[in-house]
Amino acid sequence: MLSRNAEGLYWIGRYLERARHGCRLLSDQLETMEDRPVEEIDQGWRRLYRAVHRTPLGGFLASGEEDEEFMLADAYTMADDLTFEPDNPDSIRNCLAAARENARQVRNILGVRMWSCLNLAYLDVRDVGIETIWNDQPDAFYLRTEDAIRTFTGIAVSSMYRDDGWHFLWLGWFVERTQLLAGLVDAHIAQYPIAAPHNEADWRALLRICEAHVAYRHLHSHGHRPGRMVDFLVADPLLAHSVRHALGRVTEALDAVSSGRSLAVEAGRRAGRMAAAIDHDWPNRDPDDDDATRAALQGVRDSCLLLHEDIAATYFHYEISDAP
Amino acid sequence: MNRDPAGRQSAADGSGPSEGRRLFADYEMHPAYYDEMFEATGVARVHCRELCGALDRMQPDEIAAMQALAERSFLHQGITFAVYGEEGAQERIIPIDFLPRLLDAADWEVVERGLRQRLKALNLFLADIYGPGRIFADRIVPIDLVRGCPQYRVEMRGLEVPHGVYVALCGTDIVRTHDGFVVLEDNLRVPSGVSYMLANRRALKTSLRNLFRRHHVRGIEHYGQLLRQTLAELAPPGVSDPCIVLLTPGVYNSAFYEHMFLAREMGVELVQGSDLLVHDGFVYMRTTTGLRRVDVIYRRVDDDFIDPLAFRADSQLGTPGLFYAYRLGNVTIANAPGTGVADDKSVYAYVPDMIRYYLGEEPVLANVETHLCREPEGLSFTLDNLANLVVKMVGESGGYGMLIGPHATPAERAAYAEQIRKDPANYISQPVLDLSVAPCLTADGAAPRHVDLRPFVLHGSETRLVPGAFCRVALVEGSLVVNSSQGGGGKDLWVLSS
Repeated sequence: MLSRNAEGLYWIGRYLERARHGCRLLSDQLETMEDRPVEEIDQGWRRLYRAVHRTPLGGFLASGEEDEEFMLADAYTMADDLTFEPDNPDSIRNCLAAARENARQVRNILGVRMWSCLNLAYLDVRDVGIETIWNDQPDAFYLRTEDAIRTFTGIAVSSMYRDDGWHFLWLGWFVERTQLLAGLVDAHIAQYPIAAPHNEADWRALLRICEAHVAYRHLHSHGHRPGRMVDFLVADPLLAHSVRHALGRVTEALDAVSSGRSLAVEAGRRAGRMAAAIDHDWPNRDPDDDDATRAALQGVRDSCLLLHEDIAATYFHYEISDAP
Repeated sequence: MNRDPAGRQSAADGSGPSEGRRLFADYEMHPAYYDEMFEATGVARVHCRELCGALDRMQPDEIAAMQALAERSFLHQGITFAVYGEEGAQERIIPIDFLPRLLDAADWEVVERGLRQRLKALNLFLADIYGPGRIFADRIVPIDLVRGCPQYRVEMRGLEVPHGVYVALCGTDIVRTHDGFVVLEDNLRVPSGVSYMLANRRALKTSLRNLFRRHHVRGIEHYGQLLRQTLAELAPPGVSDPCIVLLTPGVYNSAFYEHMFLAREMGVELVQGSDLLVHDGFVYMRTTTGLRRVDVIYRRVDDDFIDPLAFRADSQLGTPGLFYAYRLGNVTIANAPGTGVADDKSVYAYVPDMIRYYLGEEPVLANVETHLCREPEGLSFTLDNLANLVVKMVGESGGYGMLIGPHATPAERAAYAEQIRKDPANYISQPVLDLSVAPCLTADGAAPRHVDLRPFVLHGSETRLVPGAFCRVALVEGSLVVNSSQGGGGKDLWVLSS
């Protein structure tokens, strides 16, 4: 497969997963605004911004401003910032635009249906603004956008030829998911330390964002324990939105595309080491030591950046001298 | 109930209120122009009668709704075209007019024969001017006209091209006047529009299925396979299963949709200059499993930009060393660099002479009478008759930089004349043509609009063309400019089999 096409598919995966994740974070946060006190809503925004490594343009609420109107105005601005802000490269609209731009480049290998689905999702988001969705039902907008992305993945699963293109799409998708999940859990612990007295609703929300609440209830009928939840979201290989599961998918995709190339071994080895660290080192850390937990999660994030560089250097931008 | 969202008057002619107005009820033939569908008011040409009757029984709204649906689907599928220099118009569709234009078998036979003849002569001309230059020695075409043309590539002198084919594909613009078919220009560099021809066909075939079937329209859908076959035939000697790629400038090019579409139709990789590299005189593309040798490049990038080492050094679109590999004969570039000299608007004037010179035949398709401002008589004639002429810049295409005398204000004409005087060699003039019209759907029912056609001819080890064309239409009433970049639209052309 042409390297640029592989790279295009890889980035479609990354951007769509990023947009989808943004939708989940925001629909959850907007839901909390229905029945939670202002202070808790403010904390929710802080966690959300920390998870996406960004500071709101106008800052957070100062203490003493915990008043309903301030909170609403703030929520409006922040939702706008994360959804439509042109200068925020990770805003949902920008992610969809970037995914579509990559799709345009590889349209000849993308089926008509996959392209139309992505194109329509983008056109829908392009043509609205925060004022429209705010006056309507904001969470409906995020659900709709997320559904469009899921439809795209559904068409991909049912129609794509299983060549390198397929593997690179999912490689990008799951590298992104690994990185985003590690960042989210890290941000959550920073905002709500595990050993500190906790509000169950905050932790339930974390599970919901990761679509893990139903599975968690089945497995752990004895209630919400933050430490156990963190373990579940990081190390359970069967949970679609766990770090370990995402890493498993990354390893699979890398195995499929490596075709015995020496440089390719580096990327595969790094992904393998990341998975092994979760299988073997993660359970051995002190679960009450938030610093150790967060360091492990930051390690995952840092490794993702290096992994991305390995992949790009091996498959996308290699020099003649490195060509097999 | 009368469905009439456009607020048109209806049922005034006595038809029942449930019928609405007939499509051609108020069709007014233009007295000055050849009408493609009607020979007299209310009398359709023989080959158009069935179509005309069937369309007339449909509600204009019904057709308009199908048209709107097709256009929406073009937008959703990204069948778009970009107009440069227009803010916010990065992606626009080419509007489609749903009333097909019909060409009977006899007319098509003339067009086809003329195109084959013309392309054959143009290829011989290119081989000659980059080779022995007989046509200069015999004083048929002035040598300074050709050598001084900006599209002339001195780098191509004395180079053998595979099968002697310089132009593997061309898209020739043809119009019909009262005197018959006339060639407006030959596009020999990177002609575009074939994807819109195919998209329009698909849209009409789906929406007007029964009508289409009844008409025995000749198929054009195999164009992609013919193109691939043609390119494969031009592979360097000794390559049996050539690796073909389509080289595009990228997504920001106005015709990117077409590049993507053709790559998919042919089943070849769509590459950009940065995907290719030249090593030891061979061209390779970067793939996820390593470098792969490329044998034939169907390039949609202009000469200037294909290789920064050979042509424009600031090009970001090309591949360094590509021309070197081409000179060595290790890769085929189609069309060959330097073909633009033969579709230069001044050289165009000599095509009928070329046909007589190389083939010993009379041209099947006429040229438009052309005055070259580089010659003193041409210049003075042009300046004296500016109000009645169309003046074009020789190096421009797409309808850019032209003056339509009768439509221009005296001030515009004076300013243009000043430009011509400064650089006469850069201009040619032609009479305003009485381009034929065909009925188009407008807000007020069917009305005549000017049309042309651009068939696409392929030339490998033999000449091939599909019986069809991208039929362009000037959607603005009275306008003579059909170019897509100037707001023209498209129509499906039905070539009938008998």
